[in-house]
Amino acid sequence: MSIDTRFRSAGSYRAPYHMENSDAAILRFPFPFPEDHYMYSMNIEPHVKAGAVDSLRRTFDVDEHYVVECREKARILSEDPGRCIVLPHMRAAEWDFVELAMGSLSEDYPDLFHLSRDGTRWRWINRPLNIDQHFVFGDAGTLPYAPFEFMARQMQGDFTLQDQRDNDLWMDGGMVTSQADWSLKFDLGMSFGQWHAPVPKAGEMGIFDRGLRFLLMLQHGRPVRRLNWTMTVNPRLDTSPENFTIWGRDRAGVTGDNARDLVHLRVELQALFRLPRSNAILFAVRCYLLPLRDIALVHKWRIRLHRVLRDLDPALSAYKGLDLYRAHAVHYLARFDNNEPTSKGIGPDQDALVRT
Amino acid sequence: MNPATGYAATISSVDVVAPALRRFVVSRTKGAFPAISPGSHGVFAFGNGQRTWKNAYSIVNRSEDGRALEIIVRRAEPTRGGSDFLYRHGGPGLNVSVLGISNLFPIVRTGRRHIMISAGIGITPFLSYMTEMRKDGMDYALHHYTRPEEADAFRAMLSPCDPSRVRVHEGRQEAVASLRMLLAREPVASHLYVCGPGGFMEWVRQTAATVGYAATKIHSERFISPAGGRVFEVMLARSGKTITVGADETLLEALENAGIDAPCLCRGGACGMCRVGVINGRPDHRDHVLTGAERDSGDVMLTCVSRSLSPTLTLDL
Repeated sequence: MSIDTRFRSAGSYRAPYHMENSDAAILRFPFPFPEDHYMYSMNIEPHVKAGAVDSLRRTFDVDEHYVVECREKARILSEDPGRCIVLPHMRAAEWDFVELAMGSLSEDYPDLFHLSRDGTRWRWINRPLNIDQHFVFGDAGTLPYAPFEFMARQMQGDFTLQDQRDNDLWMDGGMVTSQADWSLKFDLGMSFGQWHAPVPKAGEMGIFDRGLRFLLMLQHGRPVRRLNWTMTVNPRLDTSPENFTIWGRDRAGVTGDNARDLVHLRVELQALFRLPRSNAILFAVRCYLLPLRDIALVHKWRIRLHRVLRDLDPALSAYKGLDLYRAHAVHYLARFDNNEPTSKGIGPDQDALVRT
Repeated sequence: MNPATGYAATISSVDVVAPALRRFVVSRTKGAFPAISPGSHGVFAFGNGQRTWKNAYSIVNRSEDGRALEIIVRRAEPTRGGSDFLYRHGGPGLNVSVLGISNLFPIVRTGRRHIMISAGIGITPFLSYMTEMRKDGMDYALHHYTRPEEADAFRAMLSPCDPSRVRVHEGRQEAVASLRMLLAREPVASHLYVCGPGGFMEWVRQTAATVGYAATKIHSERFISPAGGRVFEVMLARSGKTITVGADETLLEALENAGIDAPCLCRGGACGMCRVGVINGRPDHRDHVLTGAERDSGDVMLTCVSRSLSPTLTLDL
């Protein structure tokens, strides 16, 4: 496949919204529910190049939306440069990120990305975005942006950099443009406990204490991942507090008739990497959006999503901001649920879609 | 890197730093070691055919091209033999694999000034600290305490460093006289890092607390070289197996030799990764991780250094 046909060239993540998924994109969606009921858990597993769906099988996943998403990211950054902030003591972590990103992208997608290294003289080629950059590794003056920003602009999803000190993790940098209603400007400099404070229930369940203890021991070369989810009205990547006035009201516009098109399952593939020079932790949040009409093409997923949403704990529903339209989504999905048992795991259990 | 086998390497050179200290350069046969943050340690696996040891050592330096790591090893009492074996038999060509590299003792990069206090072999993490601090233009000072007979060796080791930032103190008398004063003289923003024998670190910590250092500004890494002890039996509740822990092996080694997939990371009682539930029996805690309450409860232990006070332990494994 040539680059031209692999990536979509048109699409819009803001009004008028326009985002479509191919059959392959739907079948590789990281559906987040291994069971018919959802509650918080320490659902962390090694981030190895394997998994029930294709989107889990690369260090950093690149899909058909890559070019349009990078374009949207650039537009958000030009409107609000404060979406990318890195504190000065995270300089080593910036170069760690550059090395990890360029190394793994060129290894996982040799036809799209290429990295050549001659000592500290590096050359980076990004074919889909038409970038051919010679630079000196460790010398920020040889790149058109700061090192972290240079690379994070060329990747789908959000990234934050956590410094480790005093037996805690501190969010001391990041680029955040496709977030589920949180703000880097607000969370910058916070500790692990502080930035998780708004999450209901999980704290008292001991999940953050265990999670932090686990992450403090995270080793280089052994990244981990988990899936997290919420729902979003319209295919909008940037559901940020900064822009709440733009997207917040959309949640009141969902009806029984339009839920199938407007309501999207929003899944975050979260991967965590220990960075070797800085001892910092990279938190990568890759966002996938799939409308209910596309989920309804997968037999198992539409049944399971119905049961999960129907039986969701009210505190979680409120925290995730679903209260205004959850009933409409449940109503739409109920027609597919004939009470049959479903298989464990997140895989779609089918190789092709039947579009009627 | 394959997590089970680590980075394959061999010893490429050995030099005698002092009668009891050897510096080893461990080189990869192919490829490079990953970049390393100052204060990191590696778990090094080596052996003589009959026996494999897995010991943690601070990484003093990684070569520019990433092919080689440097460690310094002190001859230890041959209770378990790892360091003793390396000291006696670790020569060029010996295969060593580096099973994992992690950092339990990082530089606090937000700090405005850093003061390092070491004794003896405790100098090793600070050698990598100073490389970085010099490169990044950080404000720092090192005070190293040594027994008189090794003073020349440490002076030689520190000779490439900026002499205005490094001071070698000889003998116990000078230590007692100088420490309190030099800690008290530091600005309030300084971060203090301590590395050396357990008793030394405790003394530095207490002295620092007395002159007003906040606990969050005192950093130390307390590795324990696991010691042997009485033989004991371990019953594994989940797998139903019973294994014997010999006098000169650790519980973790006995588990590994029996093919049990036991978690671990630092192998020195410092990280807490190897904690397991204790269902029956009285553990002999030798780590620096568990809280007083956890220790007293007796229902959790670290397999890498701790042993048993009762003849049998039942573990949740």
